[in-house]
Amino acid sequence: MTAPLPELDPVIHAQARLRVVATLSTLREGDRITFPRLQEILGMTAGNLSVHLRKLEDAGYVEVTKTHHGRTPATLVQLSRRGRLAFEEYTAAVRALLDPPAAT
Amino acid sequence: MTPEDRDPADRDTADRGAADRGAGSDDLPPSDPVAALNLIRQQRAEALRRIQPDPRWIYWPWGVAWLVGFGLLFLRFGPDQRVFVDLPSWLPLAVLYALLIAAGTVTSLVGSRSYGQVVGDSSRRGAWYGAAWLLGYVSLGVTLSRVTGALPVDRAGLLWSASAVGLTGVLHIAGAAIWLDRNLYLLGVWIIAVNVLGVIAGPGWQALLIALAGGGGILVAGAIARLRQRRSR
Repeated sequence: MTAPLPELDPVIHAQARLRVVATLSTLREGDRITFPRLQEILGMTAGNLSVHLRKLEDAGYVEVTKTHHGRTPATLVQLSRRGRLAFEEYTAAVRALLDPPAAT
Repeated sequence: MTPEDRDPADRDTADRGAADRGAGSDDLPPSDPVAALNLIRQQRAEALRRIQPDPRWIYWPWGVAWLVGFGLLFLRFGPDQRVFVDLPSWLPLAVLYALLIAAGTVTSLVGSRSYGQVVGDSSRRGAWYGAAWLLGYVSLGVTLSRVTGALPVDRAGLLWSASAVGLTGVLHIAGAAIWLDRNLYLLGVWIIAVNVLGVIAGPGWQALLIALAGGGGILVAGAIARLRQRRSR
C-alpha cells in the first residue's frame, strides 16, 4: 500500500496540470510556446487546456501573453519563475515520499 | 443550473462553462508517487522529443556534403595537379554547392519544424546565429572573388576552400559558446585543426583531409549528439 499524498501542491497535483507544467518545464527560461503547439504536444482539447491554464495562471504559475504575429493573434504560454519553482518543489516532494530521508 | 451558478468565483461565463465540461477525470491527482514521477518523466520526454530536433538531421547532411563534395574535388584536382578520376572539371564544385544548399535546406526545415511556435530567447539566438553564417559567407565571398583572379588556379581553390572551411570552424565554436555545447565546440576545434593541417599540406591534400577528417568528423559529432540527447531524456 502506498502512502497518501496530503501535502503536495494541489494546483499541480492533478494529472492534466502536471502534464502541462512538465511540458512547459522543458522550455528554456525566456522561451514561450504558442497555445496550438502546446495543445498539439499535450493532445488536449482547446477548451480543456484553457481551463487548466486558467487555474495555473490564477496560481501565478503560468504566464499567458496575447500578441500578434503579423496579423494573426497568437497566445503564448510560459512557466513563471514561481511556477518553475513550484514544479521543482513538487518533484522533490514526490521523490521524498518515495525515498524518505534517512535522518527522519 | 447555469454556468454562473455553478462557479460564482468564476469571472468568465459561457466559454468557461463549455470548457469546464471538457475537464473531467484528468483533474484527478496521480494515483501514487510512482505514477506522478512516471507522468512527469514521460511527459517531459515526449515534449523534448517534439521540441528538440534530432541532431542527426542537423549534422549529417553537412557531413555528407563535405565527404562527397571535397572527395570529388580531391579526385579531380589532386596534389601536384594529378587527376585521379577524369571528371568534368565543373562537376566537383557543382556537386559540392548542390549538396551544401540541400544541407542548408534540410537544417532550416528541421529546425523550424521543431522550434517553430516556440518564441523568445531561443528563437532570437537561432536567428542571429543564422545571420552570422549568412553574413560571414557573403563578406568572405565578395572579398575572395576580388582577389583570387590574380592567383594560380590551385592556390585560388585552396584559398576559397580553406577560408570557407575555417569560417565554419569558427562559427561552430561561436555556436558552442551560445548554447554551451561541448560537442559543437570540439567539432569546431577539430575542423580548424584539420583545415590548418590541410593548408600546410597544400592543394589537393587539403580537399582530402576536409572530406575524410572534416566530413567524417561532422558525421561522428552528429552521432554523438544523438546519443547524448537520448541519454538526457
